[in-house]
Amino acid sequence: MAYTTFNRQINDQMKEPMFFGNPVNVSRYDQQKYGIFEKLIEKQLSFFWRPEEVDVSKDRIDYQNLPPHEKHIFISNLKYQTLLDSVQGRSPNVAFLPIVSLPELETWIETWAFSETIHSRSYTHIVRNISSEPHKVFDDIMLNEKILERADDVTRYYDDLIDGINLYQRCGEGTHSINGETLSISLYELKRRLYLCVMSVNVLEAIRFYVSFACSFAFAERELMEGNAKIIRLIARDEALHLTGTQHMLNIMAAGDDDADMAKIAKECEEEAYAIFRKAAEQEKDWAEYLFKDGSMIGLNKDILCQYVEYITNSRMQAIGMKAIFSTTQNPIPWINTWLVSDNVQVAPQEAEISSYLVGQIDNEVDGGDFGDFDL
Amino acid sequence: MPCVKVTAGVVIDFDGRARSLLDALEQQKLEVNFHCREGYCGACRCKLLSGEISYINEPLAFVRKGEFLPCCSTPLTDIEIEIP
Repeated sequence: MAYTTFNRQINDQMKEPMFFGNPVNVSRYDQQKYGIFEKLIEKQLSFFWRPEEVDVSKDRIDYQNLPPHEKHIFISNLKYQTLLDSVQGRSPNVAFLPIVSLPELETWIETWAFSETIHSRSYTHIVRNISSEPHKVFDDIMLNEKILERADDVTRYYDDLIDGINLYQRCGEGTHSINGETLSISLYELKRRLYLCVMSVNVLEAIRFYVSFACSFAFAERELMEGNAKIIRLIARDEALHLTGTQHMLNIMAAGDDDADMAKIAKECEEEAYAIFRKAAEQEKDWAEYLFKDGSMIGLNKDILCQYVEYITNSRMQAIGMKAIFSTTQNPIPWINTWLVSDNVQVAPQEAEISSYLVGQIDNEVDGGDFGDFDL
Repeated sequence: MPCVKVTAGVVIDFDGRARSLLDALEQQKLEVNFHCREGYCGACRCKLLSGEISYINEPLAFVRKGEFLPCCSTPLTDIEIEIP
């Protein structure tokens, strides 16, 4: 029941479920129950980048020349992205690591969250460059009501799960009296919270992030704030991978072979899952209204962004076997796709870690003739 | 030369000039959603109604039964597909 950092129980990791089995003891990757998580780790590692590699110096001039309403769009969007990655940089670790049972999934969660911390660092890199008073931008995040409103929905499912895990790992299943408060927890309820949490993370990465990417790329389409767009493009490449990770988790859960309870829960929570998607889409539309409250920008306005919210929500729901909830079928901003192609992310071979360029390579092909001029 | 039938009534010959099915569809001005074009995001998923495809690189994205990713695949036989 209680969490241990090195579980002494000798177990067959290939027979453990993804979550709520034995805690992981040996981090071994010679065998994998779900090879996909190992592949995602390798891909994520090959994507490694650092914000300082991207030159954002021209953005400072661009930013200073933006009209006030566009400054508002740009900086508000950046603040929102900062909030999302602040949450994602820590929460998967805190929520999922105490309950994960497979080494490859454990490492995927750590690799995933680590890459989010790089994203957070890149926002500081961007803000430092465009403003001489970066502290004002960051200080405002905790005071901005529009941002805090959404923070609640982004974090609620994580907090519910973490709260439940704490109680379960300390006291076990049942009803407990803690500090005069009566609290109940069951493993089934915890699994339900886990499912909803993964669903809400999926929504965060599949919809909320992409709405913010659209705004970043809209500036770059006009050849403005291009350094920022280069960074966002690297972030988007990582997010596509994270999204694939959560989609795999959700689909493995819903299939039920991993844990029969999870398949039952997936069915029971269907309506709630639809509600999570619907609410996120509504919030993103409200956000679009806030962004464009003082005026639109060329190529993007409130209506277009709202249509994009509907389009991307539909497409993400269909990806995990749900039905579309909006009538929009066309992508109103098709130009966003070219910003999301991974080929267009330029990297030097030694940075991309392509298989044909290996660090510390050894030439194993030695011919007898190579020793021709050797004398003993 | 496998032929690709799209439910919109378009028939394309996959003659090897396109690297992937996605490229072939785009060359016919058919609009398919895409992001990564490498098989890890899953944005381009389409329905495979009949026939067989083979993957150039095994995709990382989750592909549901009856679906496939045109960005990293080529047709093995004549196929019929539906673009969502």
